Amino acid sequence: MTTAPVDTETAERPSLATHCGAIEFRNPVLTASGTFGYGKEFEELIPLSAIGGLVTKGISPNPRFGNPAPRICETAAGMLNSIGLENVGVEGFAEGKLPFLRTCGTKVLVNFFGTTFDDYVDCGDRLGKLDGVDGLEMNVSCPNIKAGGIEFGRDPRVLGDLVRACRKVIAKPLWVKLTPNTSDIVALARACAENGADAVSVINTITGMAIDARTRRPRLATIFGGLSGPAIKPVALRMVYQIHRAGLGIPICGIGGIQTGLDAVEFFLAGASTVQVGTQNFIDPASAERIVREVEEFCRQNLVTDLREIVGALKTTP
Amino acid sequence: MHYFDARIIENRALGNGYFVLRLGGCDSLAQSQPGQFIMLRGDWGRDPLLPRPISLLSVAPEGRADLLAKSIGRGTQLLEKSSPGTRVSVLGPLGNGFPEPTPDSLDLLVAGGVGLPPLFMQAENAARRGLVDRCEMVYGGRTSRDLVLLGEMRGMGLSSCLATEDGSVGRRGRVTTELEARIDHHRAAHPQRKLRVFACGPREMLWAVARIAEPHGIECYLSMEEQMACGIGVCLGCAIPARSRPFRYTCSDGPVFLASDLVIPDLVIPPAAGQTTGAAP
Repeated sequence: MTTAPVDTETAERPSLATHCGAIEFRNPVLTASGTFGYGKEFEELIPLSAIGGLVTKGISPNPRFGNPAPRICETAAGMLNSIGLENVGVEGFAEGKLPFLRTCGTKVLVNFFGTTFDDYVDCGDRLGKLDGVDGLEMNVSCPNIKAGGIEFGRDPRVLGDLVRACRKVIAKPLWVKLTPNTSDIVALARACAENGADAVSVINTITGMAIDARTRRPRLATIFGGLSGPAIKPVALRMVYQIHRAGLGIPICGIGGIQTGLDAVEFFLAGASTVQVGTQNFIDPASAERIVREVEEFCRQNLVTDLREIVGALKTTP
Repeated sequence: MHYFDARIIENRALGNGYFVLRLGGCDSLAQSQPGQFIMLRGDWGRDPLLPRPISLLSVAPEGRADLLAKSIGRGTQLLEKSSPGTRVSVLGPLGNGFPEPTPDSLDLLVAGGVGLPPLFMQAENAARRGLVDRCEMVYGGRTSRDLVLLGEMRGMGLSSCLATEDGSVGRRGRVTTELEARIDHHRAAHPQRKLRVFACGPREMLWAVARIAEPHGIECYLSMEEQMACGIGVCLGCAIPARSRPFRYTCSDGPVFLASDLVIPDLVIPPAAGQTTGAAP
């Protein structure tokens, strides 16, 4: 164990370049879907070329207008949201948002979803053919209307079928954003790995609720919402580690409560090769760029010359 | 829009939980319009987690910005206790503002409690342009202790009509009752003059203001408040139902909206003279 002080000025600049599936990233810090708009909203706040990539707001085949208000509420070290997957639709995205993204200087993953099996395939097919899209991230935390509203992503068999069907029509890298609302995250990751997904994003929000005791009402109009922020980091780390330990061979993008470079490093140690910064973009809109710097600083301080050295390097033996 | 660190240079208590924070280092807010807001956060760790949307009360040269707040929740409680020198992060100016004052209209500025800031700033803006006689403050609260900065408003030469629910100052009753009286007065005194209503305050008050102004055909602008996480149109948390499309966003489409574009509960607009209701005979 080295404890010698490191001269960070002269130390060799560590390599943060990494890949997740077939996408090469200049660094492993991406921004998460739903917390970074369509990129342009942050143009004046951080140089987009400083981050590894961005994941857009989830896109559905047609525009959606979302849920009634209140849609968000703050909770202890976190927030709940029930936005209702509001978005501009494939056409609105291609015409209104993509031209900027083509020139934004970072990798662009497009998050997408549907409310039926065919919707997913249609949406993935159309988005995958657009120039300027580096990869797709499938959001499987949507209610499957034909199956009584149960999320597509909760049943490994349904998820596997969905991934296989989308894989057939999507030539670009295909990531699947897993729901943590399951008793067996490894089974979900396995269903993705066995059906051709290039990577899994772990985790989406955890279902929760908040109550206003004085009014005796739920704080969200939809009663339930998705919990995000630092409150969920331990759950996210656990799930990333479980998938990594299962040795499925599928790359993992870690998501959940990352606020600092050190938080990101914890995800790398647990087995993630990239991470996404989500709710923190609301708290400090310039944080993704800072987190990149802090990861680099950690590497320097700890004599890590290539970030890939620490992916999955968690020590669990005495 | 800018994102920067500012410092609290003064924290002035006004009683009853109201306080004015004076920030330094806000040069980039100098061109802000009345109605615009900032997202503000101190070094609060993870409690509270999100920045707080706060309306601007006043901006001045030398990078000074004033905010009025009332200590209600965790964020405002921490701000109330913060001492001069405290560092805060600021994102702003955000959102849109009220229309500018004009010599051709009389603007009734309707404020409820801590909804005062955008209207105070509008009056200050009018005073700076020599148009303070083209606006009138209609200001209400529960008690006299909820009506603040009255001296400053007098200092601008602003005419103010007050209302308190307990009658401790001004008309006893709601601010909307006073608004109706002022509309009647101006309609009678200057029938040719165009009236506009600009309002900020609790949601129910704003709906009541719209229910008064809309049937009169008075142009009415409401400054809305809603839970938001980002302030820049990203989280989509601050949706409010609108007429021109299902939702508008308080942060990026507002916070100032034409009342005629919002879905106002229980709004009744009587048919104009000579029109029928459309019902079959």
